[in-house]
Parts: sequence; structure tokens; C-alpha cells
Amino acid sequence: MTQPVSPPRDSADKVPSTNEAPAWRSLVFRADVRTLSLLGVLAALIVIGGITKPDEFLDTRNLQLVLTQASVIGVVTVGMTFVITSGGIDLSVGAIVALASVWATTVATQEYGFAGILFTAVLVGVGCGLVNGLLIAYGGMVPFIATLAMLASARGLALQITDGRTQIVSVDGILDLGERDSYVLGVPPLVMVFAVVTIIGWLVLNRTTFGRRTVAVGGNAEAARLAGIDVRRQRLYLYLLSGLCCGIAAFLLIILSGSGQNTNGNLYELDAIAAAIIGGTLLSGGRGTITGSVLGVLIFTTITNIFALNNLQSDVQQIAKGAIIVAAVLVQRRTASTT
Amino acid sequence: MAPQPPLLSMSGITKSFPGVRALDGVDLEVQAGEVHCLLGQNGAGKSTLIKVLAGAHQPDTGAIRWRGEDVTLRSPIAAMRLGIATIYQELDLVEHLSVAENVHLGHEPTAAGFVVRGRAARASTAALLKRLGHPEIEPARLVGELSAAQQQIVSMARALSHDVRLIVMDEPSAALDPDEVDNLFRIVGDLTAEGVAVVYISHRLEEIRRIGDRVTVLKDGRAVAVGLPAKSTPTREVVALMTGRNVEYVFPDRPASAPGGTPVLEVEGLAREGEFEALDLRVRPGEIVGLAGLVGSGRSEILETIYGARKPTAGQVRVDGHALRPGSVRAAVRAGLGLAPEERKAQALLMLESVTRNVSVSSMSRFSRAGWIDRGAERGAARSATRELSLRPDNPDVPVRTLSGGNQQKAVLARWLLRGCRVLLLDEPTRGVDVGARAELYAVVRRLADEGLAVLLVSSEVPEVLGLADRVLVLREGRVVHTAPARDLDEHRVLDLVMEGSPAS
Amino acid sequence: MPEPTYPSPFTSRRGLLLGTAAVSAGTLLAGCTSNDSSDDEPAANDQPAAEDKPGKQVTIGFAGPQADHGWLNAINDNAKNRAKKYSDVTLEITEGSNDTAQQIGQIETLINKKVDVLVVLPADGKALTQVGLKAMRAGIPVVNLDRIFNTPQAYRCWIGGDNYGMGLNAGHYIGEKLKGKSGARVIELAGLDNLELTKQRTQGFDDALKNYPNIRKVARQAAEFTVESGQAKMAQLLQAQSKFDALWNHDDDQGVGALRAIEQAGRDDFLMVGGAGALSAFQAIKRDDGVLKATVLYPPTMAASAIDLARALGQAKGVSGLAEYEIPASLTLYSAVVDKENIDQYMSTGFK
Repeated sequence: MTQPVSPPRDSADKVPSTNEAPAWRSLVFRADVRTLSLLGVLAALIVIGGITKPDEFLDTRNLQLVLTQASVIGVVTVGMTFVITSGGIDLSVGAIVALASVWATTVATQEYGFAGILFTAVLVGVGCGLVNGLLIAYGGMVPFIATLAMLASARGLALQITDGRTQIVSVDGILDLGERDSYVLGVPPLVMVFAVVTIIGWLVLNRTTFGRRTVAVGGNAEAARLAGIDVRRQRLYLYLLSGLCCGIAAFLLIILSGSGQNTNGNLYELDAIAAAIIGGTLLSGGRGTITGSVLGVLIFTTITNIFALNNLQSDVQQIAKGAIIVAAVLVQRRTASTT
Repeated sequence: MAPQPPLLSMSGITKSFPGVRALDGVDLEVQAGEVHCLLGQNGAGKSTLIKVLAGAHQPDTGAIRWRGEDVTLRSPIAAMRLGIATIYQELDLVEHLSVAENVHLGHEPTAAGFVVRGRAARASTAALLKRLGHPEIEPARLVGELSAAQQQIVSMARALSHDVRLIVMDEPSAALDPDEVDNLFRIVGDLTAEGVAVVYISHRLEEIRRIGDRVTVLKDGRAVAVGLPAKSTPTREVVALMTGRNVEYVFPDRPASAPGGTPVLEVEGLAREGEFEALDLRVRPGEIVGLAGLVGSGRSEILETIYGARKPTAGQVRVDGHALRPGSVRAAVRAGLGLAPEERKAQALLMLESVTRNVSVSSMSRFSRAGWIDRGAERGAARSATRELSLRPDNPDVPVRTLSGGNQQKAVLARWLLRGCRVLLLDEPTRGVDVGARAELYAVVRRLADEGLAVLLVSSEVPEVLGLADRVLVLREGRVVHTAPARDLDEHRVLDLVMEGSPAS
Repeated sequence: MPEPTYPSPFTSRRGLLLGTAAVSAGTLLAGCTSNDSSDDEPAANDQPAAEDKPGKQVTIGFAGPQADHGWLNAINDNAKNRAKKYSDVTLEITEGSNDTAQQIGQIETLINKKVDVLVVLPADGKALTQVGLKAMRAGIPVVNLDRIFNTPQAYRCWIGGDNYGMGLNAGHYIGEKLKGKSGARVIELAGLDNLELTKQRTQGFDDALKNYPNIRKVARQAAEFTVESGQAKMAQLLQAQSKFDALWNHDDDQGVGALRAIEQAGRDDFLMVGGAGALSAFQAIKRDDGVLKATVLYPPTMAASAIDLARALGQAKGVSGLAEYEIPASLTLYSAVVDKENIDQYMSTGFK
């Protein structure tokens, strides 16, 4: 989507030997420009927020609020970034979050306390990811269809478990983690989890063989297979990873909302995909950036925050959100193509 | 009295892309009814020039005159309206539409302005196909079901469905067998007899000599020769113009004594239904074995089956005496096989990635502990592998897509060199590689063999197989019809074997 | 001929059937009899609408949307439990569906089964008008529950809640509580903005506040009737408004999230009024240990009343307590405000 226009093959094939260096340097620079332009958008938003609501926006509590609100979708987006980088898509993330959050908050699960809730949320997430992965990697299903099916069934199962009721959490250890008293040096526990997931995600994607294989499968699955990579097993692991992220996100959401509900995670799939794409991950696969995805999530959360602080209504919010997505992508394309 | 103005004259065409000047003041003049050949190595600017001519690119400077009048080709449609049609090398057909629908795409015969008259479209398509010598192609069939050669014919029919005065053909013979090439030349002859001009692009000098009238040679974005007589200019001179050097195919010397030792690769009774049958072959360390045959003789399928990328219906592949699990690429790679596939970009390279990452992808466990990659070690190893093959530029951080075809091939070879592979399977190793760079690649392959690698080579260019291999297996319709040391064969003999199936002697 | 049912003493709290908006603030409808149901299930008043003597057997077809929200779940429970109380009623209940086409199919099946009366809570009132008409033409009276059909021809009787009245009563309650406080600030946490009912609730709220010149509504954000959105939007509102005096939240389900956000922000300097009547909200009001002091009803007991009406229609009776021979064509429920004073009376109707 945001791939810069490349010169035609004929001319790109043979770069005169004297300007080899600029050709690759500009590519590296371009990658930086992409991140820089995202930071620019974020900075612009911060300026807008600071001007319109200086007291409420430029406030530690607000920073904590924005980061906390970004945590749940942020963790989901990290997993989604891996899947998209590998050339896949996971439409079931929102539904998995919903299922994991209700399964982990049933009366029966709550009897096992903190550990029971955490364990169940993660296990349900991983389980759903496993099913997705098996269907896609070994069942030969198209990711779009397999995860769409998971979306429908996980939402259905979540509804069946709750009967449409809100399951309120009464485990103190869980509830406490969402309160101010649990902040460490001003950092909410949810934000810490988000940060840890982001850092691990970045390291795995950029510094490990797992990350390399992910990029290779997304860039050219056939080439990866012929290079001796087990493409199917890699795909299985990737959906498993996305499911794991959903499980963690569900746990964070339980902490945040103090409850489990089958409507949780509504449209997370679209938010996560949008954040990843705006961040610079190629929808067609082969290139992914955790930094970009996280910036994408922060941009969205900041927009929502500024709008709410300025008391703008949801119709205006939606229009502006769409416009900002377009603007962010256009700015990236422009800056990428002029360097 | 005044001489007729040329059909097309382009002068001083310049076109730059970020970081690259693709065309630097190119002139081209085409007369009605001539076959004008455009020659040049990859990257010389041929594709850019024909895209300018097709209206797909806008030149930065320069003038285009069409039948004596200045024109601007703002879009492919504008070029088409003038009567300029282009048949690209990578066919631009819609697989899920029928032949007739493809031919008339964008200018369907309609009733009342929007109702497509399918029958009329099919009838006119059938007429075009007949004119092109392929009445057997059904206008109602889906293009995806046709062979590559038939698709090319459809592409040509699409060009002719317009009122065309100039046809640009970009390497039209690349995917064709000899008899199909003959048909192509007949069509070109018919067209020029009707006064249509043809701009013909090809790597194959002998073709140009057969049908060309005049030749324009491009090098590094400049026209180094304009309008040379095609039939009388010596080959040596044309090659010299293209490469700036006096090089033709130069093959490295074979070792004095034939390699001995036990075979490292043994293939026994390998078969895939409908593709090839009961194949036996052995390759010793240090030996280069070549497979020669026509398109469709099962050459690539054999390599891919040995490599485990396709599952055999019968037979066995052994490396060092150990049978490989059939249909498993991973087993083959672990046993020491490496494949440099025919379609490098589609099957081997990660085009967005650097040279280092392309080279290291099959050996990642060597630079990693518990999945954690030591990037310094990785880069160093990749660098020493690419240096050994003199890959240019000598910088493992450049994206692989910026390399020339020959250097991309070296990156693939470096991958297997780094992996420490013992058997190298080469499928069309010089496809898309410049004439000048081929000799270097041949030398690399021979050197690797001399260092103990077993090489199995497949090529559609018979001189390449004969020049590089020690031993040649001639294939016809999926069956080995002859085996002989390369030095006992010549090109005619191989072609006879390929066509007739029985040894001429 | 319908059997006249008067004169019968007006002894029940069937006042629910009579009410409509435009009642002054804080006025609560006091029951004439106490409701001492100790049932755990969400339950309506046990008093039947028609004569309690078993009459002719009536088969009632019931079609509702998918119960993906606590309130809709309560609708189903109310209908089922009410039907069980009548020995002369058989309830044919369909699988809830949010898909218009599927719901049409389900209702047509009920028509073909020749049920005596239909009770329909459409997923989308406008889209299901045709099938309502079809049932009426087939001679099956339709009780249209809450989401109204396009035309009165499609139902014999409509019974539903009063969204405008909900906002109005919430506004008046808050207005009375903040009486005498100058420069009072109020915020609103609305429901899903795509729905007309959200607009109606907000309109009612705004109209009520016009009566109190000392009060200004300083902020409004729309959530999505979910806990998650309630928490997110409330957190933002709390950050935006460092000081305010009252909050009206349209929906108790999203209120769970809103209360969580309030707790997380450590705020307790205002009064909160909820909406709909969830059990958790009732319990919080009764405990009186937080900001939530009241909630405005949008009673799911309307489903039980709909069964009463359907039975009465099937047996050709009128409503006891009214002078009319016939069941009214339209019944708008009163959106009562429940606070600590009257909470015990409503506790059993709270939905989970």
C-alpha cells in the first residue's frame, strides 16, 4: 500500500556502479522517514491537544489515560503485525478477546482467583489461535475465511457463555491492578504489560530467526519454502502468537473494565489492521514494523482522547478518524517518494 | 519529391527515475513496413523506451513525431488511438476472462452503447486468430487454460484488434519453441507486407539477423548505434556495441581428467505422472551434468522433484547413498541439496530484503543461539560468500532488488555456498542475465564444481548446456533419449535428438 | 363479543399501563400494593392483566431479537416466566435473531402454525412491518413490543418504553437534586449514537434541564451500550471535566464500565443517575456507597405485560382496571426513577 513507486525493472536492474551507495541509502532513509512522519503526525496531534485543552490534555493523568486506553488494542496490534507481515490476516482478534474475557470471568473461573482468570484468558486465546493456525497452515484454508469463521464462532460461543449478561469480576487482585494505587512510579500496570509486549515483539521480529522467517514467508512464500523454511509450521506459530496476544489483551481488558462481556473487543480487527497499515506494515506481507504499529495505535488513541476532551460527538469523531487515516498514509507516501 | 517522413521519429528522449537516469537523449526512427530491432543489455533502457512509446511513461525531455507531426503520448490510450500497440514481455492478460473478452478488453463491440455483443466479439477474435495461424484457439476458452505460447498469440491478437500501424514486441520469442518462433516470424512478415512497422526486442542475435531490417543499439540509456543494417552488421560488432567489450559466450575449461569418485546424487526411476518418467542419473562431486530439451520436456519439473518441491509418483533420490523423504524440501536441504530456480524473483529472492538476508536465509541456525541472531556474524559470513563469487556491489546491505540479474543469481548461489551445500541444481542459470555477465557466471559454476560441488544444470539454450556441462542428458517429452559426454555432441546433433528422439548416428 | 371486565377494583400497580411522560420531576408512581416477590428471577408484578380465572386456551407466538444484551435477555425471561404462570397459555418462542430476513422467516412459521396471538419484538421495526401486516391480515392479532412497526395497521396493540420520557425524568431528577446550586454542571454519557432512541433520550434530558436555569450541560460523549466503551468514554469524560455535579448515563450495562472508570479515577464528587434498571445498578443504589444514586427505568417487564395483553386478546377480554371493553391500541410505559427510597419495590425486576 505504501510501497514507494519503484523505477521500472529495466532501469533499476543496473544502477551505474558510481551511484550504488545512494540507491540503498535512500531505501534505509525511507524506512526512517516513514517512522519520522508518524512521529510528526503524533507531534501535530499533541500540539492540537495542547492548544485546544492545555490543562486537561497536557497532564500526567491524561498521559496515563491515553497509554492505558492504548494498551489493550496495542497488544492485539503487535500480534496482528506479525500475521500481516507474514502475508496473512487475522479477522478473529476481537472475537477471541471477547471469548477469552468471558470465559475467564465466569463464576466457575473466578473461584480460582487471579491465576485462574489469567490462565484461562491466555489459554483460550492460544487455543483459538491454534485452531486458526491449523486450519490455515495444514487445512489449506485462506486466512481471511478461516479467521472469519473463527470470528463468527468465537462471538457465538461468547454469547452462549454469557447469555448476553455482563459478568462482573469480584476478585480483588484483578480489580486492584486497574486502580491508581497499583501504579509503579506513575506507570499503570496495563501500560507496563503493553511496553513489555512491544519490546519483546520488536526483538522477536527484528533480532530472531522467527522474525526472519516471518518476513521471508510474507515476502515470498514460495522462495521461503524453496530456501528450506517450514512455511506451514511458521504460519501455525504466527496465528498462535496472535491468539496469545488476544489472550493477554483480554486479561488487560478484564482488569480495565472489571468485567467480561460478549460484546468486548468490538471491531478490534479493523482497528488493529488500520494501525498496522498506517504504521508501515505492508498489507501484502514482507515488511513489518512494530514501532510503526505502536505509533499507529497511539495516534488513534490520541485522536479519540483529543476529541473527547473537546466534547466532539461520535459522528465528527468518525469522519475525522477516516480523514486522518487517509492523510497519514498520503503524508507517508509523499515523504517516501520525494527522498 | 520530398522523401516520405518516417512513421515514427523519437529524438532526444530523456527520462530519469529517482537515482537513475534511464534514458539519456535517445533517438529512434522507424519506417512504415520495416522490422526495427532494439538491442541492449538489461538496464540499457529498452523497457523504458518502449514504455515511453506506449504512453506509459512521460519523457522528461525530447520530441516524438508521428507521421511527420509532433505528438504527445499522454496515456496508453492516446498511443493506442494513434495506432501504436505494445506486446509486453510479461503478458498482461486477464486469466479469468475468455480469449475473446481479453482481445476486446476496453473496446468491446456493443449494442446500444453498453450491451456487449459476445457473438460478434468471438467471431472477430476467431478471424484474428486464424490470421495469426492459430485457428485452434477457441475464442470462448479462458485465457488461464492456455499455454504460454498460446497466450502470446492472444496478446498479439489483442494488439491487432485495433487499427494498428506500429507494433512493439518485447522479447516475443522468449517463451516459444522453435516451430512457434517460425510462426511468429511468418506473422511479422505478413504484418510488414501490409505496411505495419514492427519494433522487435530480443536478446537472440540470430533472430534479429533473420527478420530484422535495421538495428538500434542502446547502452546505459544512450543510443550507441542508430539504424544499422541488420543483416550485414557483423555479430561481433553488435556485441561489442552492446557490452562495450568484445565478448561472446566464453566457457571455462573443463578439468583435464573426468571427475571420479562415488556419485553424491543418485536418482533412480524418478517419475511424475504426465511430466517425466523413469529418470536415472548420477552426479559425482566436481561434475556438471546438463539436461537439454525443449520447453515442455519436463526439465524444470525434474529439478524441482529431485529437490522435493514436487512429489514424485515413483522413484527415489539418494544423497551419499541415503534416500531422501520424497516431497520434502527440508529433507533435501538438510541432505545438502540447493536449488537456483528458473524464476529467481518469484521462487528464490526476497525482493524487499538486503543481500545479507537473502544469502543467510537458509543458514540462519548457524548465526543464532536459541533463535537469537548474531547479526555481525551473519553479515560477515554473507559478505565472505558474496565476495567469493565477486558479487557486485561489494556491499551486503543493499536491497537485492537493486542488483542486476547476474548478481541476483550470484546471491542465490551464495546462499547455497554459505549453507555448505554439496549438490547444486541450476535451472536456467543465465535467464535474464546480460551477455557480458554470463561468462563470469559460467566461470563461477565451474569453479564451484572444481571445489567439489556436484552440479545438475538445466537450460533451454543448447550452447550453454554443451559449453558448461561435462555430461549431457537429452530429454524429449519427459524421457531421456540420449546420454553422452558434452564434447561428443554439437548443437545440431542435440536439436536432432530433441526433435526426432533417436540418435542420428 | 369481548367480555366486559369492569367494574373491577383498581388494586394493582397496573398504573404502569396508564402512564406516559410529562409527569413532574421526582414524582414516583407509588404502588397500591406492595410487591413482596422474593423470586430471584427478574419478575414483573404478579398481578395479571386480565381476569385471573383460567379461560380458553391461548397459543402465543413470541419472536424477539438475539439476547446479546442484559436487557434483551431480561425481555425473554419476563415473557417466559409470565407465560408459565398461566395454565391457559402455551408459549411458542423462537430462537432470537438480529437478522431481519431470519426473523421474518420465524414469524411466518408462527403464522403458518396458526398461533392465536403474536408478540413481536423486531430486530428492526421498520423492516418487519410487512410481516406484521401479513399476520394481521391472517387474522392473528399482533402485540408489537417496544420497537414500533411503520404503521398501526401492522399491530393490534403496541407496548413499549418511553425513551424521551427516560431522558426527561432523569433530567428532572437531577434538576431537583441540584436545586439551589448555582452554576451547576452536568454531563451525559449517551448510548449508541446510531440509534434513534439515543437521540430521543438526549432530547428529553435536554428539555428537562431547560427548566433549571442554574444547570448547564457541559459535556456529552456517546458509548456503545458495552462495558468496554462505557469505561473508555467515561475515563475520557472524567479527564475532560475536572469538576461537575451530576452525570446521567443512558444504560446500566455500559454503566458497569463507567463506574469502573470513576473508581479508577478516584472520583466521588458528583451524583450519577443510570438508565434501564439493571440488577447491579439497583444493588449499588441500595448499598448507597458510591456515586450512583438512582436509575431511570426502561422496564423489561414490558414483555410480561405483552404476554398479559396477548392472552387477553386471545380470550377477548379487556384490561382490568379500565373502563374500556377493548385492549388499548397503544401503551407507553412510564420511565420511573428508582432511588434509595423506592428501591426495594423494584429490586426483583432488575436484570442481570
